[in-house]
Amino acid sequence: MLNCLGHLEYRGYDSCGIAVSNSSIQVYKDAVRVAELKKAIPPFEGSLGIGHTRWATHGKPSRTNAHPHVGCQNEITVVHNGIINNFLPLKQKLIEEGHAFSSETDSEVIPHLIEKYYAGDLEKAVERALADVKGSYAIIVMGYGENALIAARKDSPLIIALGDHENYLASDVPAILDYSSRVIYLEDGDIATVTADNVSFRNGGKSAKRTEHKVHWSVEEARKSGYEHYMLKEIHEQPNVIRDTIGNWLLDGEPLEDLKRMSEGGMETLLILACGTSYHAAMVGKYIVQELLGLPVRAELASEFNYYGRILPETLAIAITQSGETADVLLAIKKLKDVGCRVVAITNVIGSRVSRLADRTIITRAGPEISVAATKSFIAQLMVIYWLMMHYARVEPKRQAELVLQLRQMASRVAQVLDKESEIAGLATYFAKYDDIFFIGRGINYPVALEGALKLKEISYIHAEGFAAGELKHGPFALLGPNKPVIGIVTNDATHQAMLTNIREVKARGSPLATLVSEGDDSTDTLADFVITVPQVDPLFSPVVNTVVLQLLAYHIARVRGCPIDFPKNLAKSVTVE
Amino acid sequence: MSIMIKQAVILAAGEGQRLRPFTVSKPKAMLAIAGRPIIDYVIEAVVKNGINDVVLVLGYHKEQVLDWLSINEPSGLEITCVTQANQLGSAHALAQVEPYVKDDFLVLPGDKLIEASTIAQFIHADPQAVMAKRVDNPSRYGVLTIEKDLLKVITEKPRDPSSNIINTSVYAFNKKVFDFIRPELDIPDVLNKMVSRGIAISTHETQGVWLDVVYPWDILNLNGVVLRHLSTSLGGQVEALVAIKGQVNIGKGTIIHSNSYLAGPLTIGENCDIGPNVCLMAATSIGDNVSISPFTEITNSIISNDVIIGSGCTIQDSVIDQGCNIKGHLTAFSGDAEVEINGEHHRVNLGAILGEGCTLDYGVVAHPGVILGNNSQVRAMKLINGHLPDRSLVL
Repeated sequence: MLNCLGHLEYRGYDSCGIAVSNSSIQVYKDAVRVAELKKAIPPFEGSLGIGHTRWATHGKPSRTNAHPHVGCQNEITVVHNGIINNFLPLKQKLIEEGHAFSSETDSEVIPHLIEKYYAGDLEKAVERALADVKGSYAIIVMGYGENALIAARKDSPLIIALGDHENYLASDVPAILDYSSRVIYLEDGDIATVTADNVSFRNGGKSAKRTEHKVHWSVEEARKSGYEHYMLKEIHEQPNVIRDTIGNWLLDGEPLEDLKRMSEGGMETLLILACGTSYHAAMVGKYIVQELLGLPVRAELASEFNYYGRILPETLAIAITQSGETADVLLAIKKLKDVGCRVVAITNVIGSRVSRLADRTIITRAGPEISVAATKSFIAQLMVIYWLMMHYARVEPKRQAELVLQLRQMASRVAQVLDKESEIAGLATYFAKYDDIFFIGRGINYPVALEGALKLKEISYIHAEGFAAGELKHGPFALLGPNKPVIGIVTNDATHQAMLTNIREVKARGSPLATLVSEGDDSTDTLADFVITVPQVDPLFSPVVNTVVLQLLAYHIARVRGCPIDFPKNLAKSVTVE
Repeated sequence: MSIMIKQAVILAAGEGQRLRPFTVSKPKAMLAIAGRPIIDYVIEAVVKNGINDVVLVLGYHKEQVLDWLSINEPSGLEITCVTQANQLGSAHALAQVEPYVKDDFLVLPGDKLIEASTIAQFIHADPQAVMAKRVDNPSRYGVLTIEKDLLKVITEKPRDPSSNIINTSVYAFNKKVFDFIRPELDIPDVLNKMVSRGIAISTHETQGVWLDVVYPWDILNLNGVVLRHLSTSLGGQVEALVAIKGQVNIGKGTIIHSNSYLAGPLTIGENCDIGPNVCLMAATSIGDNVSISPFTEITNSIISNDVIIGSGCTIQDSVIDQGCNIKGHLTAFSGDAEVEINGEHHRVNLGAILGEGCTLDYGVVAHPGVILGNNSQVRAMKLINGHLPDRSLVL
């Protein structure tokens, strides 16, 4: 169980705990990482257990707020992922009825509610208790003297893995890969009863059937395989991710009918929605769509769109989420579907919630991404966007053919960037001593500047910002100076001259300067303190090679500064709360 | 000759200087032969002999080995990776594994091509032992002087070799060897020292395959040898009117368009786009994701991943590394060539050697034996000749 929890730490890790059922139910939990809990925990025996690794939403990380939570009689034990919206009135009522609460969490109402309704049939009690609950949840319930675990989900991920006379439940596949590759995905409203030999489902008061899936990830894929950090391993996997992603294109027919119609009609508009790093992929996507399809397109942050986004007459939306569980993106999709918009999801996780909401799902071939900082999933998202848009590009056939060939070589181009790692690591030792670093780019590399800054800030804790280079003079200039280095991304397109002007302006203010330029471009050699060359590619593909340079730079800066690269403080891998 | 050795140490930290440009960004052990790195053949050989505990010593561009392992880790075997930070020599590499080895263990070079049968006898040898082989060109190697099956001395790269029996760099040791390693840097020096202190080192000759890569053209020889064992398997999609002769291996996702002619032995990787009207002739290996346009003929050559070859090319006895972009009408005929590598001059029959990421515009003519460094660019209609360094620009 502790092993499995370790694999789930990317979802959150401010506290953790387990409970095991034997002659009594024993619980051990604390506000520590799984590895520390492992050292401190006394030996437990039993054939039934539940565990949890927490990411605080209600109540600070502490021993009492950690899961599992237990009822008053120490008989009902629960782990919960999600948010109970009506926990305050529920808690109030339960306290009036005599229940004693020990934590500040929303989750603790669940074991008390179940305890309230428990009359010998645990499954019934869970079903009854959940009827009172409003919010999102994936829960596993263990009752004293019971030989089955009861699980339920609504708007939070939960899977069952089938073994040989043993079965597992988990929020995500990597947790159980060591033990099984046969997986069942629970659906919303499902209540599952799981024993060592049997799994049964109920939904809406009726029994239900759920199909088994085979997971093709190997345990090895979910391990670090010799690298110091998952992030570095995942950066190095990118050439293969690209090959895998573009692998089946030759034999593929029509990737997305909607786009065909739109590219031929030309009157419709496209919306791309995402959060975090995926939003930067969405922004790059905007440039790609404009360039290749000539369609009007907007890229929006799902979290903003949900509150302020006017539903324009868009007929197709593309939602990008690595985990497929990003709460803001899911909410936005529901909103769009309500007004009749078609939604295509791009996600890395088969069977994730987003794939059930969207009309079409396209799976990126990045494999499990453990490091909190997204790297290979971002590149895989870009590759899917290139593939879709290339298919329906309305450009000269000669240019399209040239672009397709370049795309087929993208894995090698990224490999060439990785070969420059020691050079980039050298640069990192120089930049690691600064407290603020700015990234500037223009056009299709503006989102890359944002992504470079995001990678750096999230793993090195350096204050990093990305700017559209032309916006420097509208404010950020005031910040520049010898302590504020700037990294400029130079693209060989219409922005080239303007970018050089910006770079001269930066240099004139005394900021240390590094530039990313295409091989053979010597225009910044006399201006910049450091020049990193990237392989020559069409400007449309330059985000791929430039991003990989910035990933390596962020990684090595964080490494020099001794940061916990794979699990930065205050961040969780998939954000399943709004 | 009774107990079987259960653990193998594979040394894969070395660079292989004379193999540039191919070893600028990868260790020698990662050179691809018929689509698989050399080290894969070595691992396969030990696994087939019942050894499932392998220690890899990595150093020069170790990330290339790690990346490959993370995708292709052979099953049923425990691999421990140890890093040799500075590649000072084979004995220094071996010294790094002292904490990881148990009783008797095999030491193998990760960059010499072997088969399971090569070491089938030797895994029963009693330590300390060295595996020997008769070769045609002993002065490239350490020549063994043997008396009654016991080693007398190893003479490194002698001008006038006393015999044609050489050191294969495959050894059977036990922990005792670590008493003699320091301060030596190379294993032959350690063996000579052990012999001089009166320790018996047995020699065992192998009749199996043992092939070394020292120069870039050796890769073609190895490729030819491995392809001889190829069996046919056709993945992907083969359009009508494609002729397939001999043993041909086609990976999944690959399309062979009409009127192409494939004469084995020939291996083609995954997701390639080949033809129409392309001729691929015997002893050619094509990597993954390669595109080849109409009217191109390729013979006895190695084309790595992600290479694009335009129409109307003739490519013979050549090695083209990953990500090259050849626009079309490249002429790379094989011929008698004098090639200079690190000051040594060699006469070989060779086409062109192209490093990774090169771009060749239309109508380039490659003189036999040309070596073009990584990431070079050649403009249209140019003749390339001699040994050109990385990032050359031929205008």
